Amino acid sequence: MANRTPAAQRPNGSTQGKICQFKLVLLGESAVGKSSLVLRFVKGQFHEYQESTIGAAFLTQTVCLDDTTVKFEIWDTAGQERYHSLAPMYYRGAQAAIVVYDITNQDTFGRAKTWVKELQRQANPNIVIALAGNKHDLMNKRMVEYEEAQAYAEENGLLFMETSAKTAMNVNDIFLAIAKKLPKNEQTAGPGGSGQGRRLVEGDTGAKTAGNCCK
Amino acid sequence: MSPSLLQDPEMHFGAVTFFAKEHKGETCGSNGLPLTPNSIIIYGRAQILKTIKHPNLCQYLDIIRGKHERTVIVSQYCGEQLSNFLNKGLFTILDIKRIAYQIFSGLNEIHLKKITHRCLSPENILLQENNSIKLFNYGLFHMTDNGKLVSFPIIQLIYTAPEVYLDGVSGNLSNPKVDIWSVGIILAELVLDKPLWQSLKLGQRIRKILSLVQGNTSVFERIAREHNCYEKYQDLSSDLKVIIEDCLNILPQHRPTVAEILKNPIFDKFKDVPDTNRSKICDKFEKFTIEELYHWWQLAGGEVLLELKKQGLIRSSPPILSVPKMVLIDGSILGQERNPSSLYDPRVIPMPLESLYQRFSHINTYSYYPLIHFKSEILASVEPSPYDAEKLPLVIREKDPEYQFHRIILFRRLLHGYPYTKQEIFKEAKRDIPPLLRGSIWASLLNLKSNYEQEYTVIDKETPTPTDRQIEVDIPRCHQYNELLSSGEGHKKLKRILKAWIYKNSQYVYWQGLDSLTAPFLYLNFNDEAKAFACLSSFIPKYLHNFFLKDNSAIIQEYLAKFSQLIAFYDPVLANHLQTINFIPELFAIPWFLTMFSHVFPLHKILHLWDKLLLGDSSYPLHVGLSILAQLRDTLLTSGFNECILLFSDLPEVDMEQCVNHSLESYASTPKSITARSHQNEEYEEITLSDIQSISVQQLNKEKCPRICVNDVIALIRNSPNEVIIVDIRNPLQFNRCSVKGSLNIPFSSVKFGDINIENIGTYSTVLKNQEKKIVVIVGTEDTNLELFPKYLLQCNVAKVCVLHGGFNTFLPISPTILVQNQM
Repeated sequence: MANRTPAAQRPNGSTQGKICQFKLVLLGESAVGKSSLVLRFVKGQFHEYQESTIGAAFLTQTVCLDDTTVKFEIWDTAGQERYHSLAPMYYRGAQAAIVVYDITNQDTFGRAKTWVKELQRQANPNIVIALAGNKHDLMNKRMVEYEEAQAYAEENGLLFMETSAKTAMNVNDIFLAIAKKLPKNEQTAGPGGSGQGRRLVEGDTGAKTAGNCCK
Repeated sequence: MSPSLLQDPEMHFGAVTFFAKEHKGETCGSNGLPLTPNSIIIYGRAQILKTIKHPNLCQYLDIIRGKHERTVIVSQYCGEQLSNFLNKGLFTILDIKRIAYQIFSGLNEIHLKKITHRCLSPENILLQENNSIKLFNYGLFHMTDNGKLVSFPIIQLIYTAPEVYLDGVSGNLSNPKVDIWSVGIILAELVLDKPLWQSLKLGQRIRKILSLVQGNTSVFERIAREHNCYEKYQDLSSDLKVIIEDCLNILPQHRPTVAEILKNPIFDKFKDVPDTNRSKICDKFEKFTIEELYHWWQLAGGEVLLELKKQGLIRSSPPILSVPKMVLIDGSILGQERNPSSLYDPRVIPMPLESLYQRFSHINTYSYYPLIHFKSEILASVEPSPYDAEKLPLVIREKDPEYQFHRIILFRRLLHGYPYTKQEIFKEAKRDIPPLLRGSIWASLLNLKSNYEQEYTVIDKETPTPTDRQIEVDIPRCHQYNELLSSGEGHKKLKRILKAWIYKNSQYVYWQGLDSLTAPFLYLNFNDEAKAFACLSSFIPKYLHNFFLKDNSAIIQEYLAKFSQLIAFYDPVLANHLQTINFIPELFAIPWFLTMFSHVFPLHKILHLWDKLLLGDSSYPLHVGLSILAQLRDTLLTSGFNECILLFSDLPEVDMEQCVNHSLESYASTPKSITARSHQNEEYEEITLSDIQSISVQQLNKEKCPRICVNDVIALIRNSPNEVIIVDIRNPLQFNRCSVKGSLNIPFSSVKFGDINIENIGTYSTVLKNQEKKIVVIVGTEDTNLELFPKYLLQCNVAKVCVLHGGFNTFLPISPTILVQNQM
């Protein structure tokens, strides 16, 4: 509970300011901790044996920034490469993405770079991308240097933090940093609005019938 | 009298308990996951012991984990400890030879399985009423990974071979020759009829054993001299003497192996013909087995931990007493008293069986020998009416000892006759499946062949492949709340099965979820990896044909489209709502169907679900999905997109029995062609010519209501005319020329589709509005629009609407008898 963002404890819509909804998608190699990051951010929990995600999972969380309430609609995707073809359904139209890698595994960093490239090419051009080097609690097993990842993030204009879903380090911070960077003017929607998630899926009907499950 | 059948002197069991070593300091391994508790590692390692069945070995029955790394081992325990018979002049040399033979036979069995006893002593040798012997506690050293997982040494003082002491007591010397030494000492005691060095203290006894290392005369002779039994030694027939002396060789490599000793002609007279004729699917036939007795005992209220508490083996001390006096800033602990219970307590507590005997006392002898195929009237009249528990909920039936008694006796008999009893097994499994025999029953429902073991053996499960990384990260998060699946053994087995399946099915690939799908089979057949693999291998083609293709989109898309249609068929209100909020099955149902719900539910629920799934075909899961939605219906109907998707991301408790019953109902009452898919496996579900084929997924997604084939429609008209309404949407001219008897003509052109109101249909709107449970079959021609009208009915919340595939003309060649002509 202590790990919840203080802002998140304020009930939705209790502020006098505007309310924004943003669709955020998590991408990255499997077992890097995508679901764990979301679980930590949304429920303040951590499960050692977090089950693998098949398809995708959806969660929401609200944070407060000054006078704005930001509601994240989070799509947590399956990491296995085979599920890749489902990913566009989730990142298409997303305003933000967190690309996650595992600091103890160089391959996952490589995979993260591929995701960033794909987002830059295929996703919403204004998408805010954050790079999260997760499993900071396993620092002594580090295989990806902080400087290397940071340099890469700077080059590509990404937000970057090393996080730990286990210790909660930087978990809320990375979501807050994204919230700050997102444009709050055009995306305003009233409380109880139909939600971005829905609209984005609607927009996708053409692609999904064409056989989205895999390539 | 029947109680005597239950009261077999060898059908008794007891329990021992000890603590596994606790992990000190570090709680996480290098992968960031918590270290597996040693008690769970022991739990996994000990499972294999349950498969060892030998007349000279006590059978292992159960491993129970208590609090604080306590491990309780339940095993057959019958007869009396051999140590009680020493020093009484009870045994002749022939007796001793027989005992020696039986000890070696028992040892041979475990040594063949690469298990070393390491604590053989007269206390662990049980003499039965019929003078045969059984070895006890032979698995301790194996289950504790050669003693590494416990903090006490696994030794038996004077029976322990000198090299074990030289290796250091905490060492884990696992050479089976240490057991040979132990037998040597035991036989020496029997021959001399004297417990050795009885008056000495612990340390002195060990010193005695070590002193034997020096000197080069016969160890046996020295022992005999030391105990003033030299005459006995001299008088002993040389054949037995040689064996004892061989066993007591100081150098392990000079001691013979058990197999070599058993070849000695002095044992020939004890050998009898081995029993080779054994079924693969179940064990050789017995009226009941000790596992079953233990199972019934537990159901009848027997509780091992409680008995151990009663006998003082488990003592709880207030937690305050275990608080250390001081904890330093670096985390090291001072002044914590050593818990005496962390040492090994050799006491065995026999479990009382009286209450079970009493509970079953009224069960008569016939019940142990149920007749399956034929029963004469005379016999039937003698037998009491069968024990009736059918109306009770499944969970109660599974806990009812008497009901489980009858079910297990019957099922084991049926399994024994497999494959000839397939049909009977299927019939009985429809009622319910006794949990104790579930693994074997599932295997027979999946048509396992007897050579499954060889098939598995020859598969390469070791060569590294690019998929390994994915499998390795998935296994440590697959049903890890379960002790078996979270144990090291469980991880290894799951990995091997998955690799074997990928290897064997090169046309398929590893999709995440295959791990969850394998878990129930591994859980049920933990000691028979090959069987788990064989079950998986027959399950997938039947229920998930081509789901694991590298490109499975067509299969999944079709499945999900069928699911949407089934929702529309049974629950138009819900279907319309989900359609409005654009909540498509693709967002939530892929893990359901790809893993047959094994990724969605905990194991105990999956077992009950699959009990029924295995009796149905690949369309049954669609009905399960439907009944899950039915349980969440109220919430779904009042929720928007976000709330709905959140509901499925964290699926609320689903009542499995209700879900199963609901799905069985809709499964049974749905015409097969409604859920037929072009991707189903023809080997299991025939696709006949009139069945619906070759409809593209795009087309399927456009059609909101399912198609039905002409054979199903005719069957409905013939067998249950009151449950079907035929709506003919052709023009009146065509209708009058020829139509189905009793069909309603609502010409397509007469309906205004713009306005969603059932009244627009005209005269027949009341019939359709009040049709309740009837199936509405829309009949058109090949060139009429067959999408608009059913869609319209769906929007008007008319349930059970389907469309005749192929249109009216399909009736003509097949069944002219249901048609009427020239009504004009």
